Amino acid sequence: MPAAGAISPLVASLWLLNIVLDTGGQLAFKAAAGDPTAGDGLARWKYMASRPWLWLGIGSYVAEFLVWIAFLSLIPLSEGVLLGSINIVAIMLAGRFLFGERLTRLRVAGIALVTLGVAIVGLGA
Amino acid sequence: MKRFYLFGFLLLMGFDTLAQISFKYAGTQALPVEASLAWLLRVFGQPWVYGAVVGYVGAFFTWMALLKHAPIGPAFAASHLEVVSVMLLSVWLFDEHLTAARVLGAIAILAGIACLGLAESREHAPEAAVI
Repeated sequence: MPAAGAISPLVASLWLLNIVLDTGGQLAFKAAAGDPTAGDGLARWKYMASRPWLWLGIGSYVAEFLVWIAFLSLIPLSEGVLLGSINIVAIMLAGRFLFGERLTRLRVAGIALVTLGVAIVGLGA
Repeated sequence: MKRFYLFGFLLLMGFDTLAQISFKYAGTQALPVEASLAWLLRVFGQPWVYGAVVGYVGAFFTWMALLKHAPIGPAFAASHLEVVSVMLLSVWLFDEHLTAARVLGAIAILAGIACLGLAESREHAPEAAVI
């Protein structure tokens, strides 16, 4: 595995784009799914489909898929998994600032452990 | 709510795992990779690609159901349970090897998800003493 300094500008750009798309997409999904006025069952899906959030989430997901394939064509999968683990922290912070999700000590500890675990799996693959 | 999260995240893990394993099978059965109609026909001519589709669609609907109540930060972290299940299944199905680092990583993920589960049960039990 090359040292962090060996990451090329193209790889760095794709990495950043992946973070932005993953975070934006997940926030859009949460905005769609968490809307309390949406109701239940089929009515909920009709409501979600009539507003932009769900489609923004799906669009981000498709774009992220393409960016991820391009990213993995330049670096090994294990390194991709390692770099991708930062998304978990980015989405935690975004949830805190955009949805006011409380970051209790136990939640932060849990999210930090999962992030560390995914990074270690990437390192050890 | 406890049962909703437990069932939801296990279902999500099941669909995510099905998608990943199917993807691997679909890719290897359609080798060699080439930008041709023949390759596409090979991919869509064997059943595994449909396993991947079922996995993706199922995971999407499960995720949208979970996010109705679950906070996105902790939920996104907990969705990485899939990393552990795919790792273990790959040892069995694809003869991949478990290294000490990967086992350590899997344990950290499970410990983290246990923390998140505990945090959630405290969120919904306001009578419990806040430490």
